Amino acid sequence: MPKVGITTTIPVEVVYAAGWQPVDLNNSFIASSNPRLLVEEAEMAGYPRNICAWIKGIYSTVRKDEQIKTLIAVTQGDCSNTHALMETLQLTGINVIPFAYPYDRDYDMLKLQIEKLMEAFGVNWQQVYEARQKLNKVREKVRKLDEMTWRSNLVSGWDNHFYQVCCSDFNGNPEEFNKRVEDFLKGSNETAPKQEKIRLGYIGVPPICDDLYAYLEERGARVVYNETQRQFTMPDSVGDFVEQYRKYTYPYGIFYRLADIEREIERRNIDGIIHYAQSFCFRQIEDLIIRERLSLPVLTLEGDMPNSLDARTRMRVDAYLEMLR
Amino acid sequence: MLWGIDLGSRNVKIAVMREDESFSFYKFDTIGFYKKFGRMKDGQLTVDFTNLGLDREVRAINEKFAGDLSGPAYGINAPAKVVATGYGRQTVKLKGAENIVEIKAHVLGANFQTGLKDFTLLDLGGQDSKVVLVKGGRMADFQTNDKCAASTGRYLENMAAVLEIDLKELSRHRLDPVELTATCAIFGETELIGKIVEGYSISSLAAGVNYSIFKRLKPMLSKLLSQALVFTGGVAYNLAIREILKEELGVKVLVPDYPEFNGAIGCCIFGCRNV
Repeated sequence: MPKVGITTTIPVEVVYAAGWQPVDLNNSFIASSNPRLLVEEAEMAGYPRNICAWIKGIYSTVRKDEQIKTLIAVTQGDCSNTHALMETLQLTGINVIPFAYPYDRDYDMLKLQIEKLMEAFGVNWQQVYEARQKLNKVREKVRKLDEMTWRSNLVSGWDNHFYQVCCSDFNGNPEEFNKRVEDFLKGSNETAPKQEKIRLGYIGVPPICDDLYAYLEERGARVVYNETQRQFTMPDSVGDFVEQYRKYTYPYGIFYRLADIEREIERRNIDGIIHYAQSFCFRQIEDLIIRERLSLPVLTLEGDMPNSLDARTRMRVDAYLEMLR
Repeated sequence: MLWGIDLGSRNVKIAVMREDESFSFYKFDTIGFYKKFGRMKDGQLTVDFTNLGLDREVRAINEKFAGDLSGPAYGINAPAKVVATGYGRQTVKLKGAENIVEIKAHVLGANFQTGLKDFTLLDLGGQDSKVVLVKGGRMADFQTNDKCAASTGRYLENMAAVLEIDLKELSRHRLDPVELTATCAIFGETELIGKIVEGYSISSLAAGVNYSIFKRLKPMLSKLLSQALVFTGGVAYNLAIREILKEELGVKVLVPDYPEFNGAIGCCIFGCRNV
């Protein structure tokens, strides 16, 4: 099964329909044995220090994985640094397939992009729908896991994050991932509900430091809503395939995302929002819109290198939880 | 006897509170404090309180602040209760102490020292800048410096050293400031050296340094401003920055009697209320 790297969530059904294996490069990078080293290697190659660590990590991940010869790069709707990422990888002989989410969620433009992707992989609509049917069964279970996080309080913030974030590529093996989710759900059903008093929402890109969720739970607060990660499960996976990716909020404007965030805050009875933004990311600017629009307390966290929470961030988290109590 | 300890990046501040609510204050250089009195045991910092020698230290402190502080500290042995906070709280957990959140300690201290319940707190320490909006005695919102410490005491110390003046002299100047634009505190030193070569007066250069602190804080302050600004931390001793804040923000600026010990006082207040 040939592998294709993806820089963020794309219509992954197309890849599976073609019999290819998608690899979410973000997940490979952060789950590698030494993600910091990957960032350093990109800097050695010439990537500037003041550029997002995710981009650098992805660059080195592709360079290291000899099985990845093709890359689907999202050139609109995620990160403009991806342009230079794909160019530097093209320089090393990687075949790049660009994919763009139209900013205004235009149906025809999105359909054209999906059709171009289908053409690149040589698949038709019927194959895509068949692939979706299989993936939707897994997504449904992960959505159940999300519900068990906020409704019955049986799932931790980290597990909620992890299983949802895996839905970008289903770890390259939907059957195996499906089994893993089933086992997890079974285990969770047998545990006692969690008792944290403070219910938090986490919005923005997934965190680069992996101990945030556990740190919050040690202090009596739990994330019951992971905005972007939940979107990876296609929570509004309706009949029309193009429509599914129009309803997927992450690659579109902040106001469209905010409508989803506000709905979930209400539904999940959330006390406060953590807005995470990666250092040097344009999304840091959007923080001012988020603060103005949301009526509940917002803590903005900035992450740079992959590691555990630094002392300053921990101090700010402590003060924020104190404020919510 | 209740001890409040603020483990700062530059200094460890101790407030000793007696039953009649009178205080004695002590200050130690952070590195020296850890080297002399601290020891890590089972992942916690154990401090030899009995050997701190507060009777001796108080004299040095009083000399430094020209009798500003109340004393003398008599009969101080092991404290009955210790509440600790500060930057070191995260990296070092003080054994035998109740550890509280830093911003909370500062809010409690400012509330106790000024009697105000609605205010904006500006705390400028060795490496920290904090702006906290307090409503009804409770923290309503806050911002802190994140990646950069170019708006803090350490920056002032470095710049004063470049100008070959002390912090007291630095704090006298606010008129006709030179424009300093470097984002990085270290590049700021180079920029300042360039201005010295250009022939600017020490007064203008010092004013520029003080004004650059305000410029860096302005975005944080404007978001969380209220009618009263309580200014604490070691940087609050800087008279020029106090004046700049008053002029630029158009609000009342209050500096409590013991700005540097505000966090330590807050720890004591927390300790009294949670006996």
